[in-house]
Amino acid sequence: MAKPTVILVGADKGGVGKTTVARTLLDYFSAHQTPTRAFDTESPRGTLKRFHPDITEVVDVTEVADQMKIFDTLGSADARVTVIDVRAGLLSPTLQALSDIGFLESAKKGQITFAVFHILGPSIASLNEIAETARFVGDANYFLVKNKINDTTFFEWDPKTYNTYFKQIKGASEISIPKLNEMACEQVEVASQPFVSFIANKDAQGQTANYSFVLRGYVRHWLGNVWGEYDRVKLIDLIAPKVEAVRQQAAG
Amino acid sequence: MSFRNSVTVVASPRSRVGKTLLARLLIDFHTQERREVAAFDLNSGGGTLTQYVPSRTTASEIADINGQMALFDRLIAEDGITKVVDLGHESFEGFFALASKIGFVEEARRRQIAPAILFVITPDATSVESYRRLRSMFPQAVLAPLHNEIFGIAQHRDKYELAGHRTLLTHLPLLAPGVRRAIDTPPFSFTDAALASSRIPLEVQVELQRWLRRVYREFRELDLRILLADLQSSILGS
Repeated sequence: MAKPTVILVGADKGGVGKTTVARTLLDYFSAHQTPTRAFDTESPRGTLKRFHPDITEVVDVTEVADQMKIFDTLGSADARVTVIDVRAGLLSPTLQALSDIGFLESAKKGQITFAVFHILGPSIASLNEIAETARFVGDANYFLVKNKINDTTFFEWDPKTYNTYFKQIKGASEISIPKLNEMACEQVEVASQPFVSFIANKDAQGQTANYSFVLRGYVRHWLGNVWGEYDRVKLIDLIAPKVEAVRQQAAG
Repeated sequence: MSFRNSVTVVASPRSRVGKTLLARLLIDFHTQERREVAAFDLNSGGGTLTQYVPSRTTASEIADINGQMALFDRLIAEDGITKVVDLGHESFEGFFALASKIGFVEEARRRQIAPAILFVITPDATSVESYRRLRSMFPQAVLAPLHNEIFGIAQHRDKYELAGHRTLLTHLPLLAPGVRRAIDTPPFSFTDAALASSRIPLEVQVELQRWLRRVYREFRELDLRILLADLQSSILGS
């Protein structure tokens, strides 16, 4: 039985595009025919659920009942990958909670594949966030995500300082999400559709919609670049390691 | 595959090579062919398409997203209207970069709209390089080189032949200066020029009509190539 994967998508500050990144991940796994489910911790209304209603559940990750809903079902769920969109400011507390319930231990023991997508904002305060999460992450697959949501220069701090923090986390990878034109962003938000549906000009009922061809082109181009980053860090290999596939093949 | 209608972009990275005149002629040609035509003027400055054919032309720009949407969403619209774009040299790079980024040619073909680039050839290296780049960027579009005979014999046509194939060259025949003066005062409609009440002297009208017939012979051949999507016919002997 293949290992389940849990991906935490979090940030310690709001407005850095965390949910956008979570959405690109859901579309990425969908494109790779990998069954995925998502938990949206922006309870009660949720932010991610609006775009992927069929696979997303809104939860309160600090409630034991909801923790059980997520983690006790990991082994039995149809979904191979569980994406948890962690509310801004709750990344470190969530990691603490995961440590408390023994989840991080399971990950360490190799029973679960665990990854953290840490979405960083352009300010220097992000450095402290990295230090905060570093103490939990351990053997998790840690991705530092620079999300270029606006035109501000990213990471104006001294590269030496940045590297000091970066290297605290073993095996951390960096991902750069390029900027998507504001009007294209806005239109996708208004459409409340997954990126791939917007690009395909489909509405919620699967009917042909009337989205701007130009904006769809911008989104397609952007998403292609984002997925290129996921390809580059071999995200799919993480979910379904080739070693395991080969072993299963050999076994029967 | 055959197409219902076409989008033709008249282009050159150089200025003052006859793009606007070609756009005007294309508008009139399609009108003669009983097609509804919409033209898009991507030029700044005076003497532009919008002034010559105001009833059919929309002044456009692609500097910002709104202008881009207003232009490309319309070019791709399945409204059965034939589209002509007068691409000013300043917008040459930006237009094709954007078209490539958003997948304009593929989308047009998907909607049975034939995408075509009418490229005015000149001997300079910039133009030759631009032409080659367009060929590799848009293999699915009809890239038709055009020689404006005002520049003399097309001695440089060899530079525009690709991969050893002889490319079919469209010609814009030479127009006598006296006739040229008559047509270069905006607004101007070639159709109206044929009217008896026209302010153009009769002998100039006769010469103009003779010239237009030659131009439209060239355009008709090009039009068939574009609409029949027969890219092979660009290569003689195939």
